[in-house]
Amino acid sequence: MRKLSADVVVIGGGSTGAGVVRDLAMRGYRAILLDRADLAQGTSGRFHGLLHSGGRYVVADPGSGAECASENAIVTRIQAHAVERTGGLFIVGPEDDPGFGDKFLAGAAEAKMPVEEITPGQALALEPRIHPGLKRAFRVQDGTIDGWQIVWSAVASARQYGAQILPYTKVTAIERDGQSVKGVLAQDLKTGEELAIECGFLLNCAGPWAGQVAALAGCHPVEVVPGRGVMVAMSHRLVNMVVNRCAKPADGDIIVPDHTVCIIGTTDIKVDDPDHLEIPRREVQQLLDAGESLVPGFRQARAVHAWAGARPLIKDDRVASSDTRHMSRGMSIMDHQDRDGLSGMLTIGGGKFTTYRLMAEHIVDAMEDKLGSHHPCRTAQEACPGQEDAHNYQITHRLAERETDRLSDQTICECELLGRRQFVDLLTEFPHATLDDLRRQSRLGMGPCQGGFCSARAAGLAFAEGKIDIERATGLLRLFLANRWIGLWPILHGDQVRQTVLDDWILQGILDVDHLPAQTQEVV
Amino acid sequence: MTDTIVIGAGLSGLVSAIRLAQAGQSVTLLSKGLGGLQLSQGTVDVLGYASERVDRPFKTLAALIKTDPHHPYAAIGADQVKAGLSWLTQALPGLLTGDPERNLCFPTAVGALRPTCLYQPSMAGGAASGGRTWAIVGPRQLKDFYPELCAANIGRTPAPGGGAITARPYRIDLPARPGEADCSALTYARSLDQADFRAQFAQAVAAVVGDEEAIGLPAMLGLNGGDGLEAWRDLERRLGRPVFEIALAPPSVPGMRLNQALIALAKAAGVRLVLGSNVIGVISQGWQLQGVVLRQAGHDQRYDADHFIHAPGGFESGALHLDSYGQLSETVFGLPLRGGEADDLITGDYWQDQLLFKVGVGVDSAMRVLDEAGQVVYHNLHAAGGVLAGATRWSEKSGEGIALGSAMAATDAILKGQ
Repeated sequence: MRKLSADVVVIGGGSTGAGVVRDLAMRGYRAILLDRADLAQGTSGRFHGLLHSGGRYVVADPGSGAECASENAIVTRIQAHAVERTGGLFIVGPEDDPGFGDKFLAGAAEAKMPVEEITPGQALALEPRIHPGLKRAFRVQDGTIDGWQIVWSAVASARQYGAQILPYTKVTAIERDGQSVKGVLAQDLKTGEELAIECGFLLNCAGPWAGQVAALAGCHPVEVVPGRGVMVAMSHRLVNMVVNRCAKPADGDIIVPDHTVCIIGTTDIKVDDPDHLEIPRREVQQLLDAGESLVPGFRQARAVHAWAGARPLIKDDRVASSDTRHMSRGMSIMDHQDRDGLSGMLTIGGGKFTTYRLMAEHIVDAMEDKLGSHHPCRTAQEACPGQEDAHNYQITHRLAERETDRLSDQTICECELLGRRQFVDLLTEFPHATLDDLRRQSRLGMGPCQGGFCSARAAGLAFAEGKIDIERATGLLRLFLANRWIGLWPILHGDQVRQTVLDDWILQGILDVDHLPAQTQEVV
Repeated sequence: MTDTIVIGAGLSGLVSAIRLAQAGQSVTLLSKGLGGLQLSQGTVDVLGYASERVDRPFKTLAALIKTDPHHPYAAIGADQVKAGLSWLTQALPGLLTGDPERNLCFPTAVGALRPTCLYQPSMAGGAASGGRTWAIVGPRQLKDFYPELCAANIGRTPAPGGGAITARPYRIDLPARPGEADCSALTYARSLDQADFRAQFAQAVAAVVGDEEAIGLPAMLGLNGGDGLEAWRDLERRLGRPVFEIALAPPSVPGMRLNQALIALAKAAGVRLVLGSNVIGVISQGWQLQGVVLRQAGHDQRYDADHFIHAPGGFESGALHLDSYGQLSETVFGLPLRGGEADDLITGDYWQDQLLFKVGVGVDSAMRVLDEAGQVVYHNLHAAGGVLAGATRWSEKSGEGIALGSAMAATDAILKGQ
């Protein structure tokens, strides 16, 4: 058993945990972050990639809108590479109430959110595919973010300040010394190694899984209400700006251009288990209908993948528990000393990705209040490592790279223009990674062909470069294909059926991957 | 006006058109794309897998016909499949070899041992059996072939008949064109058609391999020299031992060899080829199909014929379509489809065959398309190949057998005046 010690242990490697561990480390705390899976593999990797302008909230909750507006500017500056400044439109469609637009403008003024009303003609000039019958349009500063890159760059900053980041490390027990937290026991799921971590404070940032973590500490049940949101990615960008429906929030009211695809979101259904999120066809149909009303012809475009994420809402008595969208979007901090007589532990619920940095600041402030110390928060002023040149993401960056190295390097994934050198560097950096872990880093297999061509190359390279053995290489290939299918089969229609059959012809028909020797143990 | 219009330029369409033209018919072949052969591995599969790997394809096929009356082979019959194999082998002398009654297994790029019964001579050395020792060699510049992965998986797969194969991986560093790190199999094939490059290539391979009895290389060993196999023969001579080709993801050089040989035959037989043509309308009277309308540059063009063979492929070509509301259709004639009634057409288990991919048109023994009640839709419309219902061709490895058998049955029916 490996023994470690820290001032603070953070459980949960999503955006909240990553923001918290960075803030802690910058304030001088020795911090360790644990996640049972990959960083941002849960909710923070399963959303539509919107960096809110605040427009979504200005009518119902101008305070939230104001926070979004200011955090949007900060994140765009400190994590420039993970943000694309697409801009956004709020459009009042032919079926929508034009009066909502006035409320929208009033809310924006109250939240001090930049907004400009433009004519329907100007909106159509910006985005020719939106519904030509629109009545009003408002231009806002929505952007798009890569959830994984935000989290990695935050933890890279934390590491620079001495924090330890341990993904694929599952907390097995929380140890108490009577009435206070003493440490945690954990296991490295890739190597099997056991860890004992001594700590003075524990921050539970496990989102939809926060109730499970609180239970490990022997607290009274923390009731988390995971709200399942389904999203569907289309094969290319139907719009280059974020397009929002300017109406009371509803299902499928936003299309977000994200990397090479665009994503429609989202539904919202209360579920019990955040580990088993279905993608019901009924909800996919709802999203396609909603897409059709924002962008006519949406159903004829090609859907390539769907996924579901769990909103991490903690139950609030103000609204009926089955309607998670109208619960407070704000964060909540639960102090287990008042609640359970356990000192040295806070549980965080709710929040949104756009304001993750501010949430982290509040959480660490709350912890310092408990400890009676105070250090200034500097996370808004200092850029994360690698972001100092402050260039924002551009969709064409990979094309520019391939144009430069197309004669000297191979393109491993044509859909996402991923180069061989970049992929091999990742293999070296993450020797225990699955192809899905590498996909999150590189977008391998996330484009229209969904792994038809690149998956066998990735497995071949991983083995040929001597990083893994043959059983693992073959197992990783099989696992990757099965995992891609999870997000494919619920939305399979139209031209993606053609693609799937071509992929099957290649992988099963020509290469016969389904008759490679079966693995003797599960690949993790 | 021609005697017969064939729609589709894959294996079943080309074979149908050539056979009818060689029998004296005037034939027009309409095709939206370039045909599926260039995506295929270039072998002729009859039946590779049933519940287990199949050793005797026609023996298993006879049993399959009894247990699965909706399989395309049930309508086609084993004799037509045999006739098709025999026709193709004779039509393409020297390009296909093997015993239709017996499957052999050949390595693929990922090192699986894949069963088939007819194969190109350039693949023959890769017939798997225990005790063999192979060198598996690939150039670094080909991203679709990793000799390490291929050799390691071959080595841990029991060979048919027992025993193991010893396969050792070797790398060479030789781009198909100077200064290019990313070369396709097709680029290599074109370079290997040149004697100078072939000499360099053979030298590079000879410099790395050990004393293995045969050398496996990715399927890219020449395309345009003579019958398409000259580069391979020359490499065998230069390397002084058997050299064999290993199937790769497309573009498929062996598939292109078959395709160009069949296109040449079609032209020689007088088949009129109309490529890049999308059928947008159908003219019929009662149960008689009279013509189709093609979208062509400048204007729509009507083509009439006495007989029609519909061989457009399945979902992969767009001939079968599933729309966003879950509605299935055959996109050229709007033909009735079979197999689309199930609730669970698609399931979440990737490794299970999906019922969706068995959807297609149902036919009688003359390959005439049938409606839900089992009645012939058009007396002069025959279907062949991937559009037929009842098989997941890539998973059971039956694509070419179905294509050839249905082409023979359809052309027989036309020639015999059924």
